[in-house]
Amino acid sequence: MDSFAVRTEGLTKVYKDFWRRKSTSALTNLNLTIERGEIFGLLGPNGSGKTTTVKLLLGLLFPTSGKSWLLGYPSGDLKTKSKIGFLPEESYLYKFLNAEEILDFYAKLFDIPKKERKRLIDVLLHDVGLYPHRKRPLHQYSKGMLRRIGLAQAIINDPELVILDEPTSGLDPIGSREMKDLILKFKRQGKTVVLCSHLLADVQDICDRIAIFNRGVVQIMGSVKELLSLKNVIEFMVKNLSGNDIQAVAAFIKDRNGDVISINHPSTTLEELFVNIIQHRS
Amino acid sequence: MILTIASHTFREAIRKKTLHVLIGLGVLILIVSPLIPTTDEPDARIKITLVAFFQVVMLLCIIGVIFLSATSLPHEIEDRTIYGILSKPVSRLKIVAGKIAGFALLSALLLMILSLLNMATIQRIASKLPEEYKGILKARKEFKASQFSIKGDPHHTREGILWIAGGRTGIASWSFSDLCKKSENKSSFEIELNLKIESGKGFIDTVPLVIGTENALSGRCKTEVLSAKVDKPLPVKLDAEIVQEGGAINVTIFPIHLADYVGVRHDSATVFSIQKGFVSNYAKAIVITFLKFLLIVTIAVMGSTYLSAPVSIVSALVVFLCGHILEFIRDFSLLMQHQNVHSHDLPAVLKKPNIFLVYMDYLMKKPLEWLSFILPDFKRFDSLKFLLKGINIPPETLGFSLGYTAIYAGSCLCISAIIFKKREFF
Repeated sequence: MDSFAVRTEGLTKVYKDFWRRKSTSALTNLNLTIERGEIFGLLGPNGSGKTTTVKLLLGLLFPTSGKSWLLGYPSGDLKTKSKIGFLPEESYLYKFLNAEEILDFYAKLFDIPKKERKRLIDVLLHDVGLYPHRKRPLHQYSKGMLRRIGLAQAIINDPELVILDEPTSGLDPIGSREMKDLILKFKRQGKTVVLCSHLLADVQDICDRIAIFNRGVVQIMGSVKELLSLKNVIEFMVKNLSGNDIQAVAAFIKDRNGDVISINHPSTTLEELFVNIIQHRS
Repeated sequence: MILTIASHTFREAIRKKTLHVLIGLGVLILIVSPLIPTTDEPDARIKITLVAFFQVVMLLCIIGVIFLSATSLPHEIEDRTIYGILSKPVSRLKIVAGKIAGFALLSALLLMILSLLNMATIQRIASKLPEEYKGILKARKEFKASQFSIKGDPHHTREGILWIAGGRTGIASWSFSDLCKKSENKSSFEIELNLKIESGKGFIDTVPLVIGTENALSGRCKTEVLSAKVDKPLPVKLDAEIVQEGGAINVTIFPIHLADYVGVRHDSATVFSIQKGFVSNYAKAIVITFLKFLLIVTIAVMGSTYLSAPVSIVSALVVFLCGHILEFIRDFSLLMQHQNVHSHDLPAVLKKPNIFLVYMDYLMKKPLEWLSFILPDFKRFDSLKFLLKGINIPPETLGFSLGYTAIYAGSCLCISAIIFKKREFF
């Protein structure tokens, strides 16, 4: 069994126009390996090649050159697809169905037996917080609710590899936090997660490794900690220190030829504040 | 998997207003059709109800089904709901097959609802008819003549029709072999004579004929005098005893009066064994119509695997239309290739070498020829003619329609799967 969840070799996609002339190079020579059990972030501005990479991995697009493998099988292979969950960047769902019906339809595509389907759908609807709304047709759902039901359909087969394209788009901060918690839960369950986003804070919070794309080329790839650490800067976080003691510590550092860049009270993030207030009040 | 996609497609389609409008319109036409003023013939109302169902309502339904099936895949691609299916372990062949199966299911439902209503209307009208006009509600088995000859001299021949004059100068004779063995139901037989009549006395409406039926083996015979009407088939009752004795049945006719003429051909006389079984015959006609729906659904879905929704609708409609005028297309290509063919029908100006036609011939002859072979022949699915004549639909016709649909739809499915497999989803 391939130890990599995702592997690409020289993956390239060039879009052609009607006359088969080369028009846009969407992805150039992507060499990528994602370990099993890892949360990997694909970052980049709009049109940088993230979604093209995801579509190539899923077999929705065919590469101009290069190859890719998911869980040891070539991309697009049906055996792989039974172990993959995919959440597209928008919730493209059949709006005439209700939550139960849509999950039942997707579960049937995995040949899940009827009894098991019923149990699974109830569990998933509880997990994504849509159980009370299960009989409402999807066209009555808000964008956040659609995102949640989209996630439920992506994990209905208990996948080994979950590909999430902009998972927090359309979600409020609470929903966004819940989504991130869920992704971390996937990691604890040993699943591999490929996260495609341009919301840097989301990626920073949960990803083990990232690749930053620009104009179809990977600019940098590595672990989040390594890439973000400032090698020659040290940060102390200290509690209960008086003003005089702070001055003394600063003087000591200067004495040892160190440069004190800033001495501040650390601030929390706006997301932390929002979540604390809303959850506390409710 | 195919069934899952089929039931999903079906469920999606039945929630669309197109289908509700179609059923509503169909029901309205079926209710109104018996009220349309007709000729005085008592069975005309049944005929008009059948024509309204098989031609008007079915045409409406086919157009509706084309709209639904030609737009389903393009809409899924446009809305990107197809991502949800393509990212699951479902092959693209199964997606296409599921779509076709879903619309086949929808067509079956449409046909079932509307045909039941049509059948109920027919039975209601028939219940008020006198017994002798209930022939249309029978399914007759057709027997063609094995031999045809003229005893004596034909008066003249014109456009393949042999004309015999009255007074025994010429007698038209048809022979039907082994009617007894071929027929399952020996209780009732009838001969239908489709004759041309003329008279030296000027315009006439009827010509009296002497009609003889004889069993060649036993010699048992019957002679009667009946009047043939212009442009109307003449039914003649054939005694069951004559048939049941085995051997060939000979049918002879000649006009009584010297000044009368009867035009005959090999196919002017047909024997029918009359059986009850209009319902089963009607069911066969519905099955054949369903096959027609299946074929056009397959073609519409095939187009939709590559084309956008509007183009897909138009192309399916064009194929459907051309599929009904294949003979014309074929004939047109022949006309251009060999201007002497059918030249008697062409205006004089076309008989001369015409540079425009020469170029047209050069450009169009092969494409038209190929087109007529590639396009589906929807004329093969015409089951209305059997019902109107009260003729039992032969098993060969049903078998042929089944085989033709299986081969054509199978080929379309393969092509669709190949096209769809190569398709990218941006």
